[in-house]
Amino acid sequence: MEELVSVEAVSRRFPLDNSSKHHPAHRFVSALSNANLRVTAGEFLAISGPSGSGKSTLLNLIGCIDKPSGGRILVDGVDTSKLKPNRMSTLRREKIGFVFQTFNLIPVFTAAENVEYPLLVQGVARGERRTRVAEALESVGLSARADQRPDLLSGGERQRVAVARAIVHRPALVLADEPTANLDTHNATQLIDLMHDLNRRLGLTFIFSTHDARLLEHTERIVRLCDGEVISDNSTEGGNRG
Amino acid sequence: MAKFLLLAFRNVFRNRRRTLMTLIIVGGGVAGLLLVGGFFESMFVGIRESTISGGLGHLQVFTAEHFRRDEIRIMDTGIDNWKQVAGSISSAPHVRGVAPRIDFFGLVSNGSKSSMFMGSAVDPDAEKSLGFPARIFTGRDLSGQANGEVEALIGADLAKSMNVKVGDGLTLLTTTSDGAINGIDVQIVGIVKTGWAEVDARYLRITLASAQRLLATDRVTNLVVGLDKTENTDAVYDELKPRLQGQSQELALRKWVDLATSYKQIRGLFMTIFYFIGVIVFFMVLMSSVNTLLMTMFERTREIGTMLAMGTPRRWIEALFMLEATLLGTTGAVVGVVGGLLLGVFLNHSGIHLPPPPGTTVPMTFRVMIGASLMIGSSLLVIVSLVLASIVPAIRASRLQIAEALAHV
Repeated sequence: MEELVSVEAVSRRFPLDNSSKHHPAHRFVSALSNANLRVTAGEFLAISGPSGSGKSTLLNLIGCIDKPSGGRILVDGVDTSKLKPNRMSTLRREKIGFVFQTFNLIPVFTAAENVEYPLLVQGVARGERRTRVAEALESVGLSARADQRPDLLSGGERQRVAVARAIVHRPALVLADEPTANLDTHNATQLIDLMHDLNRRLGLTFIFSTHDARLLEHTERIVRLCDGEVISDNSTEGGNRG
Repeated sequence: MAKFLLLAFRNVFRNRRRTLMTLIIVGGGVAGLLLVGGFFESMFVGIRESTISGGLGHLQVFTAEHFRRDEIRIMDTGIDNWKQVAGSISSAPHVRGVAPRIDFFGLVSNGSKSSMFMGSAVDPDAEKSLGFPARIFTGRDLSGQANGEVEALIGADLAKSMNVKVGDGLTLLTTTSDGAINGIDVQIVGIVKTGWAEVDARYLRITLASAQRLLATDRVTNLVVGLDKTENTDAVYDELKPRLQGQSQELALRKWVDLATSYKQIRGLFMTIFYFIGVIVFFMVLMSSVNTLLMTMFERTREIGTMLAMGTPRRWIEALFMLEATLLGTTGAVVGVVGGLLLGVFLNHSGIHLPPPPGTTVPMTFRVMIGASLMIGSSLLVIVSLVLASIVPAIRASRLQIAEALAHV
């Protein structure tokens, strides 16, 4: 299978507030150190670990919304650590879809308009946008709620809209940061099934951070982090680990 | 683009209370500017028409020599062939009338007291053709027919100073065109109130024929041209300019605005005040809007982070904030214009009177005249102010670190 993401000896350090007051060796806090990971197209991969283990940091780095302090990350063959901000923006726009823990829908847009937004940013023509938005909403089972604004949707519906928004522009990679954290069991299960279905049916690559056991049960491959280090990289039986 | 505009529009009305407050500030600023500017405009028009109809006319013809040097002898810079020139001017479009005038000065005496006067001599029939009111306070206007008596109109304050009334006689003393002293007895037929205190204290008017006899001249100082509308002044000026070429004397045509020194000074003063108020409104809107837009930016930090994460170009975020500010400014301007117009109509019908303006004696009726240029200018002022106010929040929003913005609570 084609390699989609390659994380090579990546570290990420953040400067401490008032760092000048600290000893030079303690002016930074390390969120990720010497992380290595390879993800092939079509994988359904969970990054698991306790709070503060570096899950979100790793996702941010893979998603090109942050840059590593050391090492390099290749997304679809492009070394993102060397990209300028506008090229990173283009890469995110074209290759990556995001699902956030708190849904992060644009509140003044309807569900359909939220899903349409990535296409709008890509400059897709109106007719094409309409078709693809309808398809995306159909695929998450929310066609009937297309004209509702987020405040009139349930948590589960909002997260499904977020998933539709993440897949509408047919990205190579969907990144989801704790996607079930704000959902009850019923909605969380529905979302897991939905993501799994999209992974199998459309061949979409999902990488998500979670410590939700319900989600981990359905995951073929689990990468465990602790204190910023990859401590295990398991593949469940029948998974498609590369 | 339409969706982007829709997003901006919906964002503007997202926090209705805050938007309402901003609209009140912006709209209030625009309405205030319209009322102040409209009142000043009404005052300018009033003073303009008062100046024109008070004797200045819309255009005046002099000899060019009149502007080059002072008179060596009385009337030596006057117009010789004024009847022919007046005839040529009369046939031009928009011209209601042409009136010859002589400006002169001298002493007026009631037998026991003398005072200086600033006289003007007119052809009563030609003056009537100008269509300007005579502003007779008591008595009547000068008669066009010579009946033996030399008729005179006199300013109210001069009449009071000389202790005379309609029907009384006065003696005028002045210098003739050949340098001799000459006098003439006049009978007061009317007392005039021009509304300008300084004018009323020196005003005296007799007929042109009487003045020419008194000054021993057949010249006139100038020709006053009255038009159907003040707005036609420039067009008629352009029309008349070539007609005055090739006369035996070199003639100079002047617009009323070139001769109305007081009008220009008053207008300059009040326009300065208006611009100062405009600057205050500009900064009031700017400062209050910067705060509001910064609050908006902080509240939407995570949303902006999400948009950036989805690959929205940073310049789009800047454009979004500036578009929202433009929409807010435009809406505020519309609210202000509508509010200002309604208030203007109300005030125009309220019959409020104000004290006389500087140098005048007649109380003013409060009126506002809100023209298109004032509406557009005031609206642009607040829109520009809001757009400028949005620059800092727009730049800060576009430069947000995505990871930090997404973690913003």
